[in-house]
Amino acid sequence: MTAAAVELTPRQRTWSSFRRNPLGMASGIVLILMALVAICAPLIAPFPEGYGTDTSQPPSAAHWFGTDDIGQDVFAQVVWGTRVSMAVGVSASVLAIVIGLLIGVSAAYFRRLDTPLGVLVDLSLSLPVLPLMILVAALAGPSVRTLAVVIALFSWPEVARVVRSQALAIVPMPFVSAAKVVGGSSLWIVRKHLLPGVIPVVGVSVVLTTSRAVLAEAGLSFLGLGDPGSWSWGTILHKAQQSGALASAWWTTLFPSLAILLLVLSTTLLSVAYNDARNHRSDT
Amino acid sequence: MRFFGLRLARGLLTLWFAVTVTFFLVRLLPGDPVLAVADPNMTEELRQKLLADFGLDKPLAAQYLDYLGQLVQGNLGMSFRQSIPVTTVLMERLPWTLILTMSAMVVTIALGIPLGVLAATRAKGWLDRVIQLTGVTAQSLFVPSVGIFLMYVLGVWLGWFPIGGAVDLDATGFGATLSMLHHLVLPCLSLVFIQLGGYVLTMRTTLIDALGEDYVSLAKSKGVRPGKVVWKHALRNALLPTTTIAGLQLGTLVGGAVLTETIYAYPGIGRAIYEAVGQLDFPVLQGAFVLLAAAVVVANLITDVAYGILDPRVRTS
Repeated sequence: MTAAAVELTPRQRTWSSFRRNPLGMASGIVLILMALVAICAPLIAPFPEGYGTDTSQPPSAAHWFGTDDIGQDVFAQVVWGTRVSMAVGVSASVLAIVIGLLIGVSAAYFRRLDTPLGVLVDLSLSLPVLPLMILVAALAGPSVRTLAVVIALFSWPEVARVVRSQALAIVPMPFVSAAKVVGGSSLWIVRKHLLPGVIPVVGVSVVLTTSRAVLAEAGLSFLGLGDPGSWSWGTILHKAQQSGALASAWWTTLFPSLAILLLVLSTTLLSVAYNDARNHRSDT
Repeated sequence: MRFFGLRLARGLLTLWFAVTVTFFLVRLLPGDPVLAVADPNMTEELRQKLLADFGLDKPLAAQYLDYLGQLVQGNLGMSFRQSIPVTTVLMERLPWTLILTMSAMVVTIALGIPLGVLAATRAKGWLDRVIQLTGVTAQSLFVPSVGIFLMYVLGVWLGWFPIGGAVDLDATGFGATLSMLHHLVLPCLSLVFIQLGGYVLTMRTTLIDALGEDYVSLAKSKGVRPGKVVWKHALRNALLPTTTIAGLQLGTLVGGAVLTETIYAYPGIGRAIYEAVGQLDFPVLQGAFVLLAAAVVVANLITDVAYGILDPRVRTS
């Protein structure tokens, strides 16, 4: 390494090695494009509703992704679905990260809380989550907000476990004891010393939690627990399943499936690339 | 013995936690459970009678104890829609889910180990890169998408396998077994697809680590054939983390089974869940979760015991 490279801050070094990873950069661009589609959905296609005249048409110039059994444009459904799928994925993930951060840091810092919180996390992680989410979503009634809350409610333990193990490595550090000795309040120590230490790990966690949340949303909507007033990729698949189009009209299922794959795969590859870039030993 | 006792206690604690969480979620969430079975315009008298029939007029603590007492006797309540016990509904579905998930697990392990070995022994080569990238991609797949794809290509297009149900009703004897296996192929393959990535990637990493250990260098310098070093010496140790993965992936496997059964109209617990969602049959949903949680606890106990037998160290620590 040259002298100039050594002077870079860790953040700059991470960025410069991230930029050299083509898969990571491509994933980032795909995610930005999908976010743009989600934001600009009304400009791209009209909201799919009502009945159309061209029913169950394969893809054509007029309907890029074909039409479903009641004549709605599948392209418009996928575009509007991007909105709900991404919104639920991101908000569920943010909520799960906040809860996971709070629980993980408290477990690591307040020794007395560690055992009960650890047992809680362990128990939650060993339960089959999807059937539990189904039960709660069915009871609470289907809506976009229900989906986000339910998914977050059962996704935080993963985050809490990662945060706790990272925070446990920081708590015994001399600067934490020093902060205690000079009379720093617990809240101040957590904010000033623990949070900055666990944030890099949380960065990877955000991405992975989002992709898992997107899959969970798709699964719940596929089973018929989606918001009846809006479109998501899972809802499109659910309608195809109900109308019997699964085995006949391939276009009604292929395009939403590709959208899910594209979003989840690019978030996963982005987190892998970020991890590699942060791990500076690997690029020497 | 102490090790197995602790594991058993842990399993029971998990089960109690699952049961308690669902009980309180169902009772404390907004929504009148009686509304789900009856007309919203019913008289107050009828409503009270229904509440009493389902035991919903007692204090919460009494309801909870009742529920636990009933559970211990294997009673999961009555299905709202079908007016038969939930246990009856689910017990006839359980064998199908067990067949599906267990066959998927066996096939995944049978494919995952050789693929992991292949990637690890050619680490950093192009084959390794391909296997790794495929593994990551496979983990990003949405189960119903895989199911629909396989159904379309192998079922509808090529016509090799049936696309729905679990067995031909008019087949008998050996023919019935064959028909069952024939129906099992597509749902099982869908689950294998999404599970395989995790196994292969773990196998690869642990085997690469194991191949760097001293005992491997020793075996090599003694002149043991390279193939034998991998399969006999290193693999044995790399199998341990794979056992852990099997336990960790149980949740994914169960979730995947729910979605796969829905696609293929496979008559397991998952399909029962899908039907219960459509009919808002909460006792069935609750019972299905409790039953699946119990299955996961039992399967986890089995992997723990297997781990204990494979690696004597964990029994003493």
